[in-house]
Amino acid sequence: MNFFADAFAYILDPAHWAGDPGIAQRIADHLLYTGLSVGIAILIAVPLGLLIGHTGRGRSFVIGLTSAARALPTFGFLLFIVLLAGLGLAPLIAVLVVLAVPPLLAGVYAGIEAVDRQPVDAARALGMSEWQILGRVEIPLGLPLMLGGLRSATLQVIATATVAGYVAQGGLGRYLIEGLARRDYTLAVVGAVLVAALALAIDGLLAVAQKLVQPRGVSRGRARPASTRERRSSRVPAIIRTPTTEGNL
Amino acid sequence: MVWLWNNLGLVLGLAAEHARLSAIPILVGFAASIPLGWVASRFAWLRGLLLTVFGIVFTIPSLALFVVMPLLLGTRILDDLNVIVALSLYAIAMMLRGAIDGFGSVSPDVLQSATAVGFAAASRFWTVQLPLAGPVLLANLRVVSVSTVSLLSVAALIGKGGLGYLFTNGYQRAFPEEIVIGIVFTLLIAAVFDIVLVLLGRLLLPWSRRAGRAA
Amino acid sequence: MFTRKTRVLAGVAALGLTAALAACSAADPLDGGGDGGDTTAITIGSQGFAESDILAQLYGQVLAANGYEVDYAAGIGSRETFIPALQDGSIDLIPDYSGNLLYGLDTGATATSSEDVDAALPDVVAENGLAVAESAPAEDADALVVTPEFAAEHGLTSIGDLAGIASEITIGANTEFEGRPYGRAGLESVYGVTGWTFKAIDDYGGPGTLSDLLADNIQVADIYTTTPSIKQNDLVVLDDPKNLIAAQNIVPLFNAEFADDDFAALLNSVSEKLTTDELLSLNEISAGDDKPSPEQVAKDWLTAQGLL
Repeated sequence: MNFFADAFAYILDPAHWAGDPGIAQRIADHLLYTGLSVGIAILIAVPLGLLIGHTGRGRSFVIGLTSAARALPTFGFLLFIVLLAGLGLAPLIAVLVVLAVPPLLAGVYAGIEAVDRQPVDAARALGMSEWQILGRVEIPLGLPLMLGGLRSATLQVIATATVAGYVAQGGLGRYLIEGLARRDYTLAVVGAVLVAALALAIDGLLAVAQKLVQPRGVSRGRARPASTRERRSSRVPAIIRTPTTEGNL
Repeated sequence: MVWLWNNLGLVLGLAAEHARLSAIPILVGFAASIPLGWVASRFAWLRGLLLTVFGIVFTIPSLALFVVMPLLLGTRILDDLNVIVALSLYAIAMMLRGAIDGFGSVSPDVLQSATAVGFAAASRFWTVQLPLAGPVLLANLRVVSVSTVSLLSVAALIGKGGLGYLFTNGYQRAFPEEIVIGIVFTLLIAAVFDIVLVLLGRLLLPWSRRAGRAA
Repeated sequence: MFTRKTRVLAGVAALGLTAALAACSAADPLDGGGDGGDTTAITIGSQGFAESDILAQLYGQVLAANGYEVDYAAGIGSRETFIPALQDGSIDLIPDYSGNLLYGLDTGATATSSEDVDAALPDVVAENGLAVAESAPAEDADALVVTPEFAAEHGLTSIGDLAGIASEITIGANTEFEGRPYGRAGLESVYGVTGWTFKAIDDYGGPGTLSDLLADNIQVADIYTTTPSIKQNDLVVLDDPKNLIAAQNIVPLFNAEFADDDFAALLNSVSEKLTTDELLSLNEISAGDDKPSPEQVAKDWLTAQGLL
């Protein structure tokens, strides 16, 4: 248990924050990997998810993709790609993007799909174009679930970027790998604490965002035990909907 | 493929260990989440507490948890228990939300009817609530199963990763085929577990098939 | 047909059976076989690279052929991990390298030649509850290597020559290299090579390290002397006249509980036949196109040597 005390002492020592590689540098690296790959994944998954959710076509594709992505051992996939493409930033980001897309896609799709048909039909009856329906009705109503997908994807990426410390030069995972290699448990716990704190902080921010985009006047219907009537009307299959946060690598 | 043939013993041995080290956490996760989920679905304050605590556990990246496990448990470095406990915690965290949803989804009307008919609380749980929550529990269990099988391979970095050994070994030998074989066998184990769960579901929850809900 | 009760019982039975099977295989009597005085079961570890796997198999197969029940634990990692693993009984035996072992356990050691290192080892390992058998003639040492072009460009023949260009180079090696006596500390104090950048590549001088070296991402790499890639790529091994890196003979390291003459004799029968050339050829076979398993490579050699 002494290791935890030593680890906190290590973290609180300002000398360890500066320098390359210091704590600040590694956190910055980790945020870079995460931000870059989630950003790119958003560019890919959101349009695709909106399309599939709005038209209702490609449902089974999303279900299949999510299941396959959940089953794929991400560590093996990472090492495989790095072996073929070399130790660099681009292959790492590429792998992280590939891992972030499925939960993000599922979240966007689920968000659109879970929107009650009534407002959509009403909007269509009012003469709104498909784009307007998407932008003014479906997205606002579906935003909480979409952010749920974003939370999932981000958590997945943070976790994978940690393990990527095995083949990457930067990121908080290096503390864990170095700690393991030297059996320096203090260093390993430093890595564990920092990466857990980072993940919790970012997940917390996204959770707050998820609450903020909850449209007023619409019950989320999932946090509380929902009535069976509402549950039956949800057409989004359980395998995508649950759990909200998933994919810890 | 020649390599696979020549090293079949190694790969199958690793696959067996992988199956063993992932099956136990899945079972533990399921077993633990039933009482926890039921209790949490009844008491709102407990639900918040449990979800927060396990939410935190779940957010911790797996490598971090694997590494500190021996410290927390006081086990030997290569002890199976390190990996099993860590994966079990993740499994519970993943199942908890589903268990809460599952038990919460049982309509209060049905529960009241059961009481009216004469079920005591305990038998009401086993004969009414649990079966009705079954489909949701099963769907979540399938997710947990797949995720656990996949998550185990990370533990190769602490020497207990089952088929994950093929990943690090293949990487060190510049032998991508070995990594691919590791991935394929991991997927196979996940598929077998899933089939077993689906079959168990059909056996124990035959009505859910007719309702077409178990995806 | 089946009542619900029957179904539930069947399901519970199935789950119970699975759990029982899992529990059965979990109670593997060979796990940590060294404790309790059960000396015929032994767990042999390997460090996580091909040569170590082969060496583990060499010793293990001979022990197995002479009444021991051998279990293997591959990919343990480096000394910092397997010393505690040996001490707590997670593994019982592991092939190690004499110089690194000595300096790993005794940072104040001074021996550098094979004879001196071999003489100093037994007492040092005994202090840690461990024992060694005789070391093999075969040596596999850390070596700082550069590409022939780089060597020609900067006139490099020995490690000391790096001092002049130290601030411009990146040295690539396993993570633990930097903290070792012959890592940053030794290079600075013995050869005056300071200010270099370290790049951690955790493949024990394997393909990732090699490709980074050839691509000039790193200028110097730590590649072990019996790695086939050195010959295959005409890499230049920088001389070590001041013996920063001590002799690294293969030596079996084991928990002192196993120390008896018969056990040591079995290990010695393998070690005495293992020369550097033999080890290099074993590595070449292992790295060949067939990628034979360490078990196969070991079996073939032991059979050819008449030990199996």
